[in-house]
Amino acid sequence: MRSRLPTSQGPLSPRVSIYRWQPAMIASFAHRVSGLVLVLFVPLYLWLLHGMTGSPEDFNQVYAWMHSFLGKLSLWLVGVALVYHFSNGLRFLSLDAGWCESREMMRLSARIVLGIAVLAAIILAVLL
Amino acid sequence: MTDVIKLSVFRYDPEKDDKPFMQSYEVAVTKPGMKLLDALNYIKWHIDGTLTYRRSCGEGVCGSDGLNINGVNGLACITPIEGLKQPIHVRPLPSMHVIRDLVVDMNHFFDQYRQIQPWMQTTTPTPEHERLQSPEGRKMLDGQYECVLCGCCTTACPSWWWNGDRFLGPAALLQANRWIVDSRDELTGKRLDQIEDAFRLYRCHQIMNCMEACPKDLNPTAAIDSIKRKLLARKS
Repeated sequence: MRSRLPTSQGPLSPRVSIYRWQPAMIASFAHRVSGLVLVLFVPLYLWLLHGMTGSPEDFNQVYAWMHSFLGKLSLWLVGVALVYHFSNGLRFLSLDAGWCESREMMRLSARIVLGIAVLAAIILAVLL
Repeated sequence: MTDVIKLSVFRYDPEKDDKPFMQSYEVAVTKPGMKLLDALNYIKWHIDGTLTYRRSCGEGVCGSDGLNINGVNGLACITPIEGLKQPIHVRPLPSMHVIRDLVVDMNHFFDQYRQIQPWMQTTTPTPEHERLQSPEGRKMLDGQYECVLCGCCTTACPSWWWNGDRFLGPAALLQANRWIVDSRDELTGKRLDQIEDAFRLYRCHQIMNCMEACPKDLNPTAAIDSIKRKLLARKS
């Protein structure tokens, strides 16, 4: 027999605001965010390329922007997103294939890809 | 460990409160190795009898006292107080309609369990004695059959929070896999047909909160991946 308790009337219990962020959860969300960053970079990249090839003056203008703080920041962001999306993409593919599927490996691999991203962020910050 | 345990507990009485709030309690340490359920029982029996929660076996078998403990889901009866940061924040399972305090409406969760038809289905005539299974076949069920349907995994899943009306969620899919890998079940194809769907199965984005939350140390993410591979193998 179905319960006679009131259904779907009470308030919804808290979820996003209270759930603790663990490495695997961060890794998955960062994958969506980095994917979005990479997609959004494509039109910017094409626009820059178009601007660069118009005339020598245009080239100098784009050149100056690329070496400004904003230009460097966008390159840094895309660089980190690319490294992260690639690393975690390999991680997801290996999970799809059934490799490294133990609880311990899922946790460890999440930490590894996040570590790689942090490392890439530091190296790129120094290089740029 | 201190002599007093500080807790902050989610309270909501539909007859008195407009909205939920957190209430602080201080509980005495009554025995070594105390579990969170012992602290909740202490509140109910000695401090505030109106505190409402589900519990039954008290040893992680019935799956009644699934709660959000300091931000992660787990069973109160097998979660040691020691090691929990205080005040211990105790909330109901996330993204569920609260009936009162820590008691949530589990109807939709169990309905999703029913949808995967959790019983053995066969086409061949029933043998005179039982349907036999080899030790290897039985081994396939390890890591699947231990699920107690506490709801900790499903209510930890952000995909289920946002698409819970259509996405079956980790618990139901782990249970689906339990019947898909059972060597005695003969309707594997029909089971796969039933869950092959952009929402029912493929809303899993490998967030792995289910695996982190499972109090029985199971791995619903791996079970879901196993179903996906079965579907792929069937196509190729």
